[in-house]
Amino acid sequence: MFGQTLFNGAVTGVMIALPALAVTLLFGVLKFPNFAVGGMMTVAAYMVFALNAQLGWPLVVAAAASAVLFGGVTIALDHVTFRPLRERGGITLMVASLGLGFILENVARFFYGSAARSFTYELARPFRFFDVRMNREQAIAMLVSAIAMGAMYFLLKRTPIGRAMRAVTDNPLLALARGIESPHVIRCTNFIAGVLLAVAGVLVAMDRALEPPMGSNYLVSVFAAAVLGGLGSPLGAFIGAIIIGVASELSTLAISPNYRIGVPLVVLALILVFRPQGLFGQPYIRR
Amino acid sequence: MNAPVLSVHGVHAGYGAGDILKGVDLDLPRGTILTLIGPNGSGKSTLIKTLAGLLPARQGEIVLEGRRVNELSAPKRVRAGVSYVPQEYNIFRNLTVLENLRLAQEFMGGVRGRTPLRDELLGLFPDLPGKFKALAGNLSGGERQMLALACALTAEPKVLMLDEPSAGLSPKYTTDIFEAVKKVNARGVSVLMVEQNAIEALRISNTCVVLANGRVRLNAAADKVLEMRDLQSLYFGDVRAEATAS
Amino acid sequence: MISFLILMTTVVCFSAILAAGLNFQWGSGGMVNFGLAGFYSLGAYACALLMLKAGANTFIAAVGAMAIVAALSALVALVTMRVTEEDYFAIVTLGVGEMLRLVSLNEDWLTKGALGLAGIPRPFGDAVAPEHYQYVLLAISLALLAGTVCVLQLIARSPFGRIVRAVREDDVVAATLGKYVLWARVRIFAIGGALIGLAGSLHAFYYQYIDPTQFSYIVIAYAFMAVIAGGRGSNFGVIWGAAFVMVLLEGSRFLKDLIPALDAAQLASLRIIIIGVGLILLLIYRPHGFLREHRLEIDLEREGSRSGERQGQAAAPSL
Repeated sequence: MFGQTLFNGAVTGVMIALPALAVTLLFGVLKFPNFAVGGMMTVAAYMVFALNAQLGWPLVVAAAASAVLFGGVTIALDHVTFRPLRERGGITLMVASLGLGFILENVARFFYGSAARSFTYELARPFRFFDVRMNREQAIAMLVSAIAMGAMYFLLKRTPIGRAMRAVTDNPLLALARGIESPHVIRCTNFIAGVLLAVAGVLVAMDRALEPPMGSNYLVSVFAAAVLGGLGSPLGAFIGAIIIGVASELSTLAISPNYRIGVPLVVLALILVFRPQGLFGQPYIRR
Repeated sequence: MNAPVLSVHGVHAGYGAGDILKGVDLDLPRGTILTLIGPNGSGKSTLIKTLAGLLPARQGEIVLEGRRVNELSAPKRVRAGVSYVPQEYNIFRNLTVLENLRLAQEFMGGVRGRTPLRDELLGLFPDLPGKFKALAGNLSGGERQMLALACALTAEPKVLMLDEPSAGLSPKYTTDIFEAVKKVNARGVSVLMVEQNAIEALRISNTCVVLANGRVRLNAAADKVLEMRDLQSLYFGDVRAEATAS
Repeated sequence: MISFLILMTTVVCFSAILAAGLNFQWGSGGMVNFGLAGFYSLGAYACALLMLKAGANTFIAAVGAMAIVAALSALVALVTMRVTEEDYFAIVTLGVGEMLRLVSLNEDWLTKGALGLAGIPRPFGDAVAPEHYQYVLLAISLALLAGTVCVLQLIARSPFGRIVRAVREDDVVAATLGKYVLWARVRIFAIGGALIGLAGSLHAFYYQYIDPTQFSYIVIAYAFMAVIAGGRGSNFGVIWGAAFVMVLLEGSRFLKDLIPALDAAQLASLRIIIIGVGLILLLIYRPHGFLREHRLEIDLEREGSRSGERQGQAAAPSL
């Protein structure tokens, strides 16, 4: 029972990890928490639905195509919504991102209604691994997330653009003085965030259900994970997500599952009181 | 007679409502070292930031090798040949020493692009290779300054601009930094330096420019300025501006 | 038609009070309350439950609701005392709002969950004939709105008001005042909370039936629009802003006639999309609102240039 809960927690954790990573990357480069990520996950998942259930593409192909497409969509959204507001300061951008989140969620609702949908793919029976019951969706979630994390690590540590992203996160003005063009880095960051959110959207939709509020239900957990890990720290986002995921699942042993969301909130409150910079962040001197 | 590699005409710039720079004129002759001194608030850092492209020039011209660069963004100016080392926060603390250097290579558009770091460059900074894996933020003040300088140099710049390179450094590192600047200059890089540590800086410089209240008050040969008894008066703008080429 | 106008004006009144609460917390105090919908619903539910379960009269219930929301707001501000960064504060309030929503949805024994609470009494409800009641409620709402604005103006002119402005305008200066400032934050948030609670109570009186769907996230978008359109920081502006948002909302109802092909749910979504787009457009093109301020309050652009200054200073602190 305990092992099962831990496993479920790990699965939840990896599903939170991808959007948390997107949030922290965006925060590092753009310097504000982007509340539209919930709506973005939702729209991306519906894009996959359109390709998969409506056009009949195999799920993997649909997901891959949507991910790339959605990377572009994210760049476009940033260009239209946030670029005009770049100079204004954090709250303006946060409010705009909140508005954008509403728009995206309701665009999905407009076209697809409120009923829950699901993707079309071969169903498989759950299987047992030692004492733990695992269904195929969960296994896929773990695998895909692992691959995504690995790819992100490689990107950030070993490629020029990854280094540039980390540099801009560390010190945007110095990055300019070191020849790094910020529009380019911003575009790349948005693309990567979009891909991560799209993949996350698919995994969540497979595990839970595809419906318009899907993404925003995750917002609090995702942000709690990112803040716990330290906004701007990719490693932190991952570890924070696992902690939140496991803690949330473990809490169901003690309190009603309806209040699972209380766990990330309490964790968030504790972090902000005792260590606002999170596990891996730096004590933040607000620009 | 050297044509100036960098020319500044009538530049105005500022942060908020007013201007901090109120019409700055100066020339940096090719291959020379120019030290900018002046009281706090006179605009020295503002000038360097404007020349680097981090602050827009509201009026006036900035000319690099005969080409007007006002419209170029900071990264583009770097590629055009102007490298800038800020006073503080001049390295990426969360990246390693090696990553800082690599990043500079990859983005600052040096002649050789992405080739392995030149031995000569590393020869100037013998302490660095041993610390490649260390996080830049964990280095001592002097080591950080050396790293910052090394990064700026990977671009093989025509003009190197330094904002108070010796600030907060121990005497040993101060000497080392100025030594490094001299060697760099000997290789043909023109240097523009803001310094509080006026005497030591002027000793290695060709030209001295005094900035006060956002304007140039004095532009003279560095050794002549060193001879002047009352260096203090320069800081308070008592000396009338003399344009004496070095 | 008159009836429609009266009802709309009443709604504008308590929406304006809600916006005034947000405005005080954010526009005056610099604290963004992204959990606004949750606090608003807390006000409505508290008022309704005090009447339905505890048998309080409408006046006591409203005051009680104000107190409860103020208390929770104070608690949140206390817990986040160390956190002055607006980003983190926004995230926390988002979470709190979400929790409140879940409580209203799940705690059936208290709130009847998704079924909601019906039959909510209203002030003087028994004393006045139904056909005249709308006037009474309008009068009450207007009076409360006027009272709210008066109180806020008084606060603005008081010594406390000066502290509030200091807290908002410069964290660093304010921080040197130390603990006093932290307590000021708590009080600011609590006062705003009281207003939000009042608005919630009026909401309950107006609709006489409340359920969780009335308090979805979108409430925060409306409130932000009202505050921004009227000019952030302006107590009078929020009235104008609330009216503006109401016109936009009611106006979009007529979309149904323009585009008959859409069903009700799609129209609802479309209206929210319009609000979202409107909010973003407002932020981009009219960040100071539509009114001209005589006194330059903090403006959203200056925020940007101030942070630009700080960035500049971060790179090279000495001039």
